Amino acid sequence: MASTLVKPCLLDRTGSFFKLIDAFASEIGELKQEMVQKDLAHERDPQITGMQCSLEEDINSLYLQDTMGSARDSGYDSLKRKISILDRLTQTHPVWLLLHLSDEEAARILQQQPPGIFLVRKSTKLQKKVISLRLDSEFGPPIKDFPVKESQYTFSVEGSGISFADLFRLIAFYCISRDVLPFTLKLPEAIASAKTQTDLEEVAQLEVGFWDIPVCNSKRTPTPSSHPSASNSVCRLQRQQQVSPSDSLPPLRTRTPSELECGQTNGALCFVNPLFLEVHRQEGSSGGSVKRSKTRESSTQNKTRIPPPRPPPPKTQIKPTVKQMSMPETISWVRQREDEETMGSMLNTSPKKSIPVPPPRPWKQMSVPEVESRRNAVLADHTIQQALERSRSKCPQMEPILASSPSTNTLPGSQEQQREEGRQRLSDMSISTSSSDSLEIDQSYPLPVGPAGAGDSSLEEEYGVESDQDISPPPIKSKKKHSSTFVLPRGLKGQFRKVSGVFNNFLTPEKRMVRRIADLSKDKGTYFGCLVQDYISFSQENKDCHISGLDMLQTIRQFITQVKSYLVQSSELDPPIESFIPEEEVDSVLEKAMHKCILKPLKSHIEASLKSFQVSSGSWKQLRDNLCLVKQKKPQDLGVDAAAPDSVVIEKIRHKFLNMRKMYSPEKKVVLLLRVCKLIYTVMEDSSGRMYGADDFLPMLTYVLAQCDMPELDTEIEYMMELLDPSLLHGEGGYYLTSAYGAMSLIKNFQEEQAARILSSETRNTLHQWHRRRTTQRITPSVDDFQNYLRVAFQDVNSGCTAKTLMVKPYSTTEEVCQLCAEKFKVQDPENYTLFLFTGETSQQLAPDTYPQKIKAEIHSRPHTQPFHFVYKRPSNLNICLPSDEENGNCLSN
Amino acid sequence: GFVGAVVMAIRELKVCLLGDTGVGKSSIVCRFVQDHFDHNISPTIGASFLTKTVPCGSELHKFLIWDTAGQERFHSLAPMYYRGSAAAVIVYDITKLDSFQTLKKWVKELKEHGPEDIVVAIAGNKNDLGDIREVPMKEAKEYAESIAAIFIETSARNAVNVEELFQKISRRIPPLDPQELENNEAFKLTRQPPPSNKRCC
Repeated sequence: MASTLVKPCLLDRTGSFFKLIDAFASEIGELKQEMVQKDLAHERDPQITGMQCSLEEDINSLYLQDTMGSARDSGYDSLKRKISILDRLTQTHPVWLLLHLSDEEAARILQQQPPGIFLVRKSTKLQKKVISLRLDSEFGPPIKDFPVKESQYTFSVEGSGISFADLFRLIAFYCISRDVLPFTLKLPEAIASAKTQTDLEEVAQLEVGFWDIPVCNSKRTPTPSSHPSASNSVCRLQRQQQVSPSDSLPPLRTRTPSELECGQTNGALCFVNPLFLEVHRQEGSSGGSVKRSKTRESSTQNKTRIPPPRPPPPKTQIKPTVKQMSMPETISWVRQREDEETMGSMLNTSPKKSIPVPPPRPWKQMSVPEVESRRNAVLADHTIQQALERSRSKCPQMEPILASSPSTNTLPGSQEQQREEGRQRLSDMSISTSSSDSLEIDQSYPLPVGPAGAGDSSLEEEYGVESDQDISPPPIKSKKKHSSTFVLPRGLKGQFRKVSGVFNNFLTPEKRMVRRIADLSKDKGTYFGCLVQDYISFSQENKDCHISGLDMLQTIRQFITQVKSYLVQSSELDPPIESFIPEEEVDSVLEKAMHKCILKPLKSHIEASLKSFQVSSGSWKQLRDNLCLVKQKKPQDLGVDAAAPDSVVIEKIRHKFLNMRKMYSPEKKVVLLLRVCKLIYTVMEDSSGRMYGADDFLPMLTYVLAQCDMPELDTEIEYMMELLDPSLLHGEGGYYLTSAYGAMSLIKNFQEEQAARILSSETRNTLHQWHRRRTTQRITPSVDDFQNYLRVAFQDVNSGCTAKTLMVKPYSTTEEVCQLCAEKFKVQDPENYTLFLFTGETSQQLAPDTYPQKIKAEIHSRPHTQPFHFVYKRPSNLNICLPSDEENGNCLSN
Repeated sequence: GFVGAVVMAIRELKVCLLGDTGVGKSSIVCRFVQDHFDHNISPTIGASFLTKTVPCGSELHKFLIWDTAGQERFHSLAPMYYRGSAAAVIVYDITKLDSFQTLKKWVKELKEHGPEDIVVAIAGNKNDLGDIREVPMKEAKEYAESIAAIFIETSARNAVNVEELFQKISRRIPPLDPQELENNEAFKLTRQPPPSNKRCC
């Protein structure tokens, strides 16, 4: 029986994992309620009135007329009157962007549609996103899938040389130009002819059910009541009317131009394409679609009580029956890296099984300057223009003339002219582009931003520095060389503020996404926002809930990993992140976003806590003393057999370390550590001309760290070691971080070393533990890992199995935990219940004076952790066992 | 335009270098990485950590090579370097018997604390100095066989057997079965399936 209980049977891993998160969040919510009074009184703003637009006969003419109009007056006024294709697409994506739709479903839907109608989905066969296009049946198969190629931050249709910053722009383009497709894509009539935002919203509400409504092709507004899924959406619409859609919408955040990154090579890649210019008015909040989804969230909330928002449904929007089966495979592709970090053990899949390995993200291994320049290779709207121009000139291999133009501060006016030219060429819809040189062009495309000035407006974004600290930027030679950051004079700022919505789009898709997630994390109307905000305030208010700095950092890392998984699976990011970010990059973008949402607000708290742990344990003093001791050693004493950095270089290095301290992002910190290491290598190699391996480098690094005499570095290294994305630990950053940790350990134990020749066994154990922890963590994070939470299953004859996550401090006794359980599970006869530990095949009753958290920690520290569970039950209750599939949180109480 | 792109999976394989100081650990790797230098490969900041991608069957193996400091005082840091390694290259100097003794210590430590199924390769470096050899090739070879390790004598200076050393390692890394790949598309769990002793190519 015990064996059935603990056997990890997690085939439906997505489901159980999701529920785990769910359980965790609801428990956090409960804890939070007990601590904090929450105010849910939302102000209900009047609904934003939909924009009135003139009806167009068809999309093409709408589009052309649209652009012609703007070409004439080159202002925003004429654009405001209409809804662009991109807007229509963005707002109705729940209808056509159906990533989890099966081949069969897609075929079924499209067969009833006229040629040109399309869906975008993820083909399970190809493991790629595809445009499923309804063809003219006379000429062959009725439906064809056109795969979408994703490379770094770009999307393109396979076989075409035109790339786009996101899926929406790609689809919008193919609505007006067929390029490699047999003909242009066609929007369903209801979307194409919608006159107002409200019309579009109504259509979007229908989601996949839209296609089953016979009227979806007519010009009438859909009358959905006849259809089951449509009636759902009607209910939703009604609910929506009760709650104003704008209430939970974060205010459009405007930024001053100085906040924008306008450097030529390190940002500003999403140029405003005149074709879709008007779209950008709504960006930032992603227009109506975000509004809609948020409304849905808040409308389901109980207004009298204060529950945390329930998690929205997972992304799969297809029928429930399909969902269950398709979820693991359909979701996994997004989560490849997530999987390796979080899902491994939960699946109970033998790691020896040959498993497909996703190609690595190449930039992770690159040196810094290269990363920066590659990042900039984002293709954006202007690519369309490029392509159009190229097609007109019928010179596919066109030289990047614009790129080589010396006038980098092209005036807006001349840009405008270029745009106009691009627009006029739109009549030539059929483009063939064979070259892929657009990358180069885009990389150095000049920016229409005003006079150059000093300053690093984007420092925060770029380096993960706390924004409230006034710091000088870390000197980065490679960047300085080819980028100039523009900052507008103060006087101009006011004027530009008006159009900051437009400037928002100068950000790379990555930055926009990070920003969107960061905004979402502050919105307590969302489940995600609640999760993050509750965690942050919980951490800040409960300083004593960790037994060590390490313990604290681990908890944070696990939280980050879990929230990331949640975000990938949930539907709260709407439109889904995959429609903006290529699959390969999704995880790294999420990681960045998590740093911003979680580490940024917690940074000073973490620092203070780490320091106080160090001081109270006495290791601070020991470190200081040893640093003094080692600092007096000559390089030779430390085994250094190469030229050592002089005081000038040491000062430079100290400066880099000081900058490192200001950053919250562990990745950015590691980048600076790499720069320090590079500098050390340079000094060593310059004087001898030979290459140095670890035999020489590690002693030198030890020497340098001692010379810098910065005891704070110890916690810096700890911070990076514990919080860095686990997927980066094997790379160069991981290597030098390991070396820095090793060097620091050597310094810390220097006196002992002199006596005992080698590092203390304690350090050695610590290293072993770190190894195990960080390796294990990649496989087995679960709610159990949250250091101060204890998941306890409750077994009762009548109600079966339930489980709760309780807050249990490290020194809480089993007796205390039992009391807590009795309270939480509402047990009438607590004297008849006690706490058991189920491990592997066995179960044992825990004595009242034992410490469950200590037991948990002990089990976790074993080399081969067996699954284990704490169960609160009657001692003799042997006739009920937990079904194996109900473990890991599937049996929840609510 | 339907393009059936053939995607060659790149597998990142962490390789740890162990051995006494001065036996030529980093020289071997520098030689390996620098010969047939491919300018497309992003350079690393220094020689302690190097990478190189080599084809193996239908796959590409990207070696992430972690050098360790051979001095005794750094010995206790080694677990951090060999953790998660798919392979370990233990280098000794054929002209220094001591370095061969150290090698045996490393083998023992890896067996006890190293990753399960780690591919162990023994490299006797400086075989260009055969006339002052202290470790007979036969002895080393037999030892390697006894522990099922790869064995090869190299000369980093003359670029002898360096490429071969890494080829041998590559072949010991189990391939990703294409059938498995199809069946388990949904279960991409790790980027680096732990190696076993199955041979591929």
